[in-house]
Amino acid sequence: MTSSSAPYSKASSASLVLLGGSIFWSLLAGGLQIISTIQLLIPLLSRLLPISFFSYGRLVPASTFLLTYGWIGSGLLGALLILAPRISGIPFRYGRFLIGGALLWHLAVLIGFTQILWEGSTGLLSLPYSRSVTAVFFVSFLILGTGITRGLGGAWKSGPLLPRLYLLGALLAFPLGLGTAEIILRHSVAPGSVQIITQLVWHSFFNHLWLTPLALVLLFQLIPSLTGRAVSSLPLGLLAWLATFTLGGWLSNSLASDGPVPAWMQSAGVIATLLFFVAALGNGVLIKPLLEGKMDEIRRNVALRFLSVGAWAYVSAYAWLAFLSFPGVRQTTAFTMVSSATQTLLCFGFLGCVLTGSIYALLPASRNVGWPSHPALTWHFWCTTLGLAITASSYALAGIFQGLAWSDPGVPLSTISSYLRPFLCTALVGQGLWLVGQIAFSALFFSTILKLFPTTAPWAVFPTSIPNHPDAMQETHS
Amino acid sequence: MKSTRALILAFLALLFAWVGQVAIGYIQVGRLEPVLNEETNYTEPPVPSGLAQTGARVFASEGCIECHSLSVRGPIGSSDLTRGWGQRRSVPRDYLFREPALVGFSRIGPDLSNIGERIKDPAEMTMHLYDPRQRKPASTCPPHPWLFEKRIAGPKTENDALPLTPINWKQTVPSYSAKALVAYLQSLNLNYALPEAPLK
Repeated sequence: MTSSSAPYSKASSASLVLLGGSIFWSLLAGGLQIISTIQLLIPLLSRLLPISFFSYGRLVPASTFLLTYGWIGSGLLGALLILAPRISGIPFRYGRFLIGGALLWHLAVLIGFTQILWEGSTGLLSLPYSRSVTAVFFVSFLILGTGITRGLGGAWKSGPLLPRLYLLGALLAFPLGLGTAEIILRHSVAPGSVQIITQLVWHSFFNHLWLTPLALVLLFQLIPSLTGRAVSSLPLGLLAWLATFTLGGWLSNSLASDGPVPAWMQSAGVIATLLFFVAALGNGVLIKPLLEGKMDEIRRNVALRFLSVGAWAYVSAYAWLAFLSFPGVRQTTAFTMVSSATQTLLCFGFLGCVLTGSIYALLPASRNVGWPSHPALTWHFWCTTLGLAITASSYALAGIFQGLAWSDPGVPLSTISSYLRPFLCTALVGQGLWLVGQIAFSALFFSTILKLFPTTAPWAVFPTSIPNHPDAMQETHS
Repeated sequence: MKSTRALILAFLALLFAWVGQVAIGYIQVGRLEPVLNEETNYTEPPVPSGLAQTGARVFASEGCIECHSLSVRGPIGSSDLTRGWGQRRSVPRDYLFREPALVGFSRIGPDLSNIGERIKDPAEMTMHLYDPRQRKPASTCPPHPWLFEKRIAGPKTENDALPLTPINWKQTVPSYSAKALVAYLQSLNLNYALPEAPLK
């Protein structure tokens, strides 16, 4: 184990920087999200503490930015830095550059976060930070992306194909989307109507062509490795990959209900969302046989548990988006809290669970360490999954009630606000649970890295009569 | 599959989204021009003042868009129009001079596309920013006191000072940002007809 991981040690230091920072950002973002929900629930709070950086209008974009760029973005990049060279068997060179890239990424997140809190957001979808932050993100991504691409290998004669394809697409989508969005939105004199379309396209690129494919890389690499089964149909996988990248950029158009986006684009957005769900379903069909009959292993192995929840959340999130895109539903639920339910399903459910499962599976291989506490593993899993289920369902119900109330002109605004309170209360409980789980995870992570306690769960696997180190897992880590 | 072939395929797929939406979108709505109102001899939508353009940035930075949308939805008889948020639906031409162009994705409060028509008095709007509950006791909108300055009151209060009793001889005066934000909100007015969106 030690000898096989030695060539990867430089990259693993960079990944550790990314993962450590990612967990820190997730705690901060979770805390801010709870405060903003409390502010929504008790408006009096913002009157008692009238501070600009503590206002709802700044806390919400700050926490969303931290969740997407800080937690998920850096976390997925960190996990891929561990995984990519293991897919191709080519170790990284110039590890210090990678560490520099990782630090730059966190610097960009820190500057962006501080700017949003102190000066406010730009208001642009998925681009709430200034040009200088974009520049730092670009430089960092150039370094990290080059490293990961090198890890992919040039000739794909052997090894898994689907993870490589998703990784390749995601690595292209981020700079292409961010670069063009930056130019059109902030460096050119594009009229406002074009800016709105550009924002929607960039929002789609960021969520569905960058973060989603990065998580799919981990799903398609780790689940087969952990279960010892191969993906059954490569043509279906290729079709789903092509559909993902062809349609992913169109998804956010279905968010625009009437308004300033041409009608044909909204229709195209609806069709793209429905077809994207079919692609997600295709990927689900590929993943399902990998997990079938493996309930015992899923129960024992926390990494596999999280990855399975992530896979379910992936299909559910896109099913939910497809449901919301239907014209009648969209008309009612646009501008309501269903968008928070979507964010919870996508960010906390799919991306977050895949990221967590990957960390549980990959960190022991990367650092030759194990996890110190079984109860903490259990707490983390149940708090996370219960938390995200409660939050997502609360926001979904709140959004539907809100939408129905909005469509009745006789219902005043204050009544709609009072309708939302019970749902906001349960969402708050869900967010609190998730944060407790994340605190347990961060305690596990940092105590593992710092080797504060003896290892009791080397591979995040609960002890049973079955050996703790399944062959499949050994394959992954070697 | 070869990596170069995959690279080309992925690139083409991504390009499809950009060309299909941004390029065609640019051709379709990027070339829209303001319409001349022959009665008033002004173009519509009107070009906002410099102060209002600064205010648009204050609007974005204060995160107003987290609770207020800027898009009235049709058709005639729809909830948005019945609630009095506008006399017609929003169309791409309305956003020609918006910088940044924001639509919003959440409505905790009302849509603001036509707020300039609903609250015509700038002083009332300024007061709403300072303390929304002075205007509407049930309002859940947070106050924005950091957009105001406390200045020593002279023998005569300043013209734009809020009508509040001075505390410790200090009057409350809107800052430049508050004035810009009010100018922006006043500029949000859909009370003009466009060929593609006549007034109801």
